[in-house]
Amino acid sequence: MMKWAQIAFIVRRVLKSFREVFWTHLLTSGTMAVTLFIFGGFLLIQENLQGLLKGWGSRIQIFAYLETSVPAADTESLLARVNSYPEIERSRFVSQKEAWDGFKRSLGSQSGVLEGLSAEILPASLEITLKTAYRSHGALAEVVKRLRAEKGIGEVEYPEEWMEKFGLVLLGVQWAQWVLGGFLFAATLLIIGNTVKLAILARKDEIEIMQLVGARRLLIKAPFVLEGMVQGLLGAGLAVLCLWQLFVSLTSQLPASLGILAERAQLQFLAPDSLLLLVGLGWVMGTLGSLLSLRRFLKRW
Amino acid sequence: MVHLFTVSKIYPPSYPALTDIQLDIEKGEFVFLSGPSGAGKTTLLKLLFREEEATDGQVVVNGRNVARLSNKGVARLRQEIGLVFQDFRLLARLTALDNVALAAEVVGMARRESRRKAFHLLRELGLKDRHNAKPPALSGGEQQRVAIARALVNDPLLVLADEPTGNLDPEMADETMRLFAQMHQRGTTVVVATHNTGLLERFHHRVVLLQQGRVAGGRKECPAGV
Ligand SMILES: Nc1ncnc2c1ncn2[C@@H]1O[C@H](COP(=O)(O)OP(=O)(O)OP(=O)(O)O)[C@@H](O)[C@H]1O
Ligand SMILES: [Mg+2]
Repeated sequence: MMKWAQIAFIVRRVLKSFREVFWTHLLTSGTMAVTLFIFGGFLLIQENLQGLLKGWGSRIQIFAYLETSVPAADTESLLARVNSYPEIERSRFVSQKEAWDGFKRSLGSQSGVLEGLSAEILPASLEITLKTAYRSHGALAEVVKRLRAEKGIGEVEYPEEWMEKFGLVLLGVQWAQWVLGGFLFAATLLIIGNTVKLAILARKDEIEIMQLVGARRLLIKAPFVLEGMVQGLLGAGLAVLCLWQLFVSLTSQLPASLGILAERAQLQFLAPDSLLLLVGLGWVMGTLGSLLSLRRFLKRW
Repeated sequence: MVHLFTVSKIYPPSYPALTDIQLDIEKGEFVFLSGPSGAGKTTLLKLLFREEEATDGQVVVNGRNVARLSNKGVARLRQEIGLVFQDFRLLARLTALDNVALAAEVVGMARRESRRKAFHLLRELGLKDRHNAKPPALSGGEQQRVAIARALVNDPLLVLADEPTGNLDPEMADETMRLFAQMHQRGTTVVVATHNTGLLERFHHRVVLLQQGRVAGGRKECPAGV
């Protein structure tokens, strides 16, 4: 077990180190902050794209056309079945007559050309809106597949191509985030490892003496690991601060409405989980960086 | 206190620094480890505080078989041993007082208590007015006394000194030896490695003579004044 005096000793050493080589620590924290800032930036873009998609979702509708030969009773049960899909937020039944009236209205003064045609030539349809959670490309396709398998439903239309493209953009952002993030993570680990190596070398004689008088390994290692942790947390804090600054200054320059794209109010800063993820990553980077370096340079002990 | 059973040490790849050493040092003894340069004195001391491990044989220090110690065990062993070196090994950035107090702190003594004890030791060793000086500002003899204070701060059962007088003028050397004699009188077991034969003539403790890695003779403690 560690004695209180030893814990106090470790804390004093960390504080002393931050005082003595302040700039080295700041530089390392800064490096981590840059990594986390870039990673966090991608997270921010991704979250907002997802947010936009959900906002647009109310305009994304599935049109399921009923076959004209279906008897009225079967239509009832079909509607009941479709409405029980868990993904569906609401659906509106458009009868043949409504479809016909709508069509006539859209033709306006030229509706005369329809004279003599029967309302029966247009199929009845269902206009379906999905719940927010299911407004991704995959979930949409899944619902469409099930609709197509229903007896009594003919054509099913939805903005497939558009959804696909948007999905690809989102996927691209996610990939860039993890690949670039991974590279930066590795590079940052190296930089931290190097800082710790320098710190170890700078205190080499001190470490040697400590070992000769019987200090435990834990006591010798702990200050370095603790420094790494603190640096990581500082770096994460710095990154979040910069992201927030960037977010605020960017959004304040946007017009209140971006036309059909979005309302400014729809743009959101990072969710709590993402903030936690950033802080956690900073913590892990700092700790791992010093542990790896210690393993390499204190091997003999 | 110290028992070596047929101990050999071969430095890689195949340099035999110690061969077949048989040695017993009882609690409270004062022993000179002497012999020409390269005889293996430093190597033998290193085996005792587990800086090096024996290639063959058993090393027992204060009832512990040092070959079997874990990292923690090595740390605990070293807490019972005070070490003094020819080159003092003080930390140049710390004051004399902090150099001594550090050794107590890292094994768990509270900071205030460590500093108080360090101060008392330094005063006893005649460094009362120099405790705030850093090693580069101290003479060789003063530095060695700081190092001795550091070796004593954890109340060691065993003090190992490797050429403690090697960098000191004869007067300072004798003064330093008298400090070791004092510890010995208080019951501490002391082992001093030296190739300075003059010391052996002036201080009449037991001598173990090493030559080319083997025990090649020695003498029992002789009564003072011979
Ligand atoms: N780490 C090492 N690797 C290889 N050989 C070593 C090592 N340390 C010491 N030796 C060799 O072992 C032999 C004994 O060395 P040691 O330092 O124990 O001698 P010593 O009696 O202390 O000599 P001195 O009086 O010069 O200090 C020497 O010949 C030395 O070259
Ligand atoms: Mg030697």
